[in-house]
Amino acid sequence: MTSLHLTRRLHLYFGLALLPWLLMYGLSSIPIAHNQFFADRDAAKDLPLWTVRMERPFDAPVPRDQEKLREFGRAALAATGVTAPNFGVFSPNPTTVNIQSFSFLKTTRLVYRIDQQKITVEDRRFRFDQFLTGLHTRGGFEQDGFLPDAWAVVIDLVCLAIILWIATGVFMWHRMTRKRLWGWVALLAGAGSFAVFALKL
Amino acid sequence: MLSTVVRQSHRYLGLFLAPWLLMYALSTMAMNHHGYFIAKHGREPQPFEKERELPYAESFSAGASPREVGRQILISLDLDGAHTVNQRPNGSVVINRNDLVSPRRITYTPGDHQLLIEKQAPRANVVLERFHRRRGYATGYALDTAWAVTVDLTIAGIVGWLLSGLWIWWEMKATRVAGAVAALSGAALFLLFVFTI
Repeated sequence: MTSLHLTRRLHLYFGLALLPWLLMYGLSSIPIAHNQFFADRDAAKDLPLWTVRMERPFDAPVPRDQEKLREFGRAALAATGVTAPNFGVFSPNPTTVNIQSFSFLKTTRLVYRIDQQKITVEDRRFRFDQFLTGLHTRGGFEQDGFLPDAWAVVIDLVCLAIILWIATGVFMWHRMTRKRLWGWVALLAGAGSFAVFALKL
Repeated sequence: MLSTVVRQSHRYLGLFLAPWLLMYALSTMAMNHHGYFIAKHGREPQPFEKERELPYAESFSAGASPREVGRQILISLDLDGAHTVNQRPNGSVVINRNDLVSPRRITYTPGDHQLLIEKQAPRANVVLERFHRRRGYATGYALDTAWAVTVDLTIAGIVGWLLSGLWIWWEMKATRVAGAVAALSGAALFLLFVFTI
């Protein structure tokens, strides 16, 4: 097997194996880049995004430390019977703690109002554009469990594969001596345009 | 003929958009390892550092809005571009110029006609993330609109590479079985993630 042969195979098989991620990143970038259009489209349906599942008294001390705040969120989820593989906790003001529990298909929100000693559990209506953007924005190694970490590892792999596609693509083009001129034109036009954006935007 | 068009568009679009793809790949890795950067630099936003301070003697039209004041100042400083403006209770106007590499905060104090210009020092992961998140259509600046068009072109490029890649793969008979195994394995793994996490 020659180096060109190996390069072509790597370029191809990585592309095919990671095709769902590329398709997902491609499609999900549309609602991210044109979010106002999708927000207006959904608003026209006049349906509530969140539905209250339950509201009940709740009283627990809220830690200020970010790590302990996560522990607090875990305990609040357990106390309300909400289960999901991922969650995030943040406190937008001194009297409120929001806990977002989410999977790719479902999102539940807990709002703890400290001054009222009350917790509300709300479910978010499924929206396809939010499903796509949820796939797009999911990442990191902060969640519990093996599969969320495995997803983050695959994201790194997709990023490395993109770099590999660029490198192998440039290599394959450069080996095609008859295609060099137009290739240089495309490559330099892209690099030049990008440099202008980087300097002027 | 069609095959030639598919292969050439796959190749030349890839060469043209290579810098965008490289930026998206590197910035995604940086965001995926956000925890590492928080551990290294902390959670606080990057501080602004004083760049210069100067008097601003030009006048504004009567009843000029903070937005108009901000725009005039940016043009005077040769820094015009995407920005936001807000006015503090003490009357000073704060302009955040959304520069991709070194964002600036310009504070104009009407009482003493002074301009304070501060900038954020570039930090690799922050700059990459800024590139990744930059949109453009809403700012009204032609260069931002052009950037937004390149983002849309990259989106179309990704979908186009997938379709043309599938075409090219299907034309290579020797790789059909191994390619199908790779594609199905990837699809199965993706679906596993979608339905479990």
